[in-house]
Amino acid sequence: MTGIYRFAGVNVQIESLLPDIHKLCEAYRSSGEPDITVASVQSDIDLERERSEAEDVKEGRPVRRFSPGYLETLAVYRAIAEKMPYCDTVLFHGSCVAVDGEAYLFTAKSGTGKSTHARLWRELLGNKAVMVNDDKPLIRIDGSGRAVAFGTPWDGKHRLSSNIAVPLRAVCALERAADNSICEISKSDAMPVLLCQAYRPSDPLALSRTLSLIDRLGVRFYRLFCNTDVSAAQLSYETMKG
Amino acid sequence: MKLKKEFITHNTQNESLLVPTGSADFSGIVRGNKTLGAILGLLKTETTEAEVIEAMKERFDAPEEKIASDVRKVIDELRKIGAIDE
Repeated sequence: MTGIYRFAGVNVQIESLLPDIHKLCEAYRSSGEPDITVASVQSDIDLERERSEAEDVKEGRPVRRFSPGYLETLAVYRAIAEKMPYCDTVLFHGSCVAVDGEAYLFTAKSGTGKSTHARLWRELLGNKAVMVNDDKPLIRIDGSGRAVAFGTPWDGKHRLSSNIAVPLRAVCALERAADNSICEISKSDAMPVLLCQAYRPSDPLALSRTLSLIDRLGVRFYRLFCNTDVSAAQLSYETMKG
Repeated sequence: MKLKKEFITHNTQNESLLVPTGSADFSGIVRGNKTLGAILGLLKTETTEAEVIEAMKERFDAPEEKIASDVRKVIDELRKIGAIDE
């Protein structure tokens, strides 16, 4: 099964074994010529199953069983993320919210509360807060460091995303705390979390491009210590907005 | 010995980084100063611990013992995370 979809301004031809991926990507369908092609095979699906099971074991939770169709959607995004650095684009693990035409990326390791904090922004700001992607947005970084966040259909368990492109204003590293506080940090201080939460390609050359893209990422960086009260969103929004 | 191809060295303005590709077993990041960067640079091609120490002595003005111990420490750490092809 084959379809062409547009992600982060790149036309991607997807050749799959199962239909799920095409249903997932329906809102991103494109009639243009493909810029890149990804084709999945059975071993990609098997590898995703192994990765998922290994992660569950590592995290000490019951091993979850996913359908081959769902696992293929993961394999396809992995294949796209492998190629995106060649299109000046990096996949980041994080929740990305847009307000007044500017995007904010909350990033942290799994389970810290990125989606929870993004939900607090929606609670605080109502319809002004638009979800770009709640889990794995694509970020394109141009030669001068300006970044644009793109929605994708791989949008986390709450399925929150929009097919939009929004200039990225800030990246905010989240940490849980009893009391809320926020400070602007240097890019050097943000580097560890950026490197850990960016998708790291298996191809060394693509990884090297990813590192160069992160190097030139010219946005503001913040570290937010937060609880789950809406006052945390008030603090982060008021501090980071233009 | 040399650095495995699954590990990429990267220098920013202030620090040297060693970052594994998605296919490496180690998933962390190694960060350090210019000394680390110089050692990583030397390990990009086939070499020995003695050769790395010798090259570092030529580049850095520090007591030989200090250089040797720094080099050994870094190489030991790299071995632990599986970054070295022996």
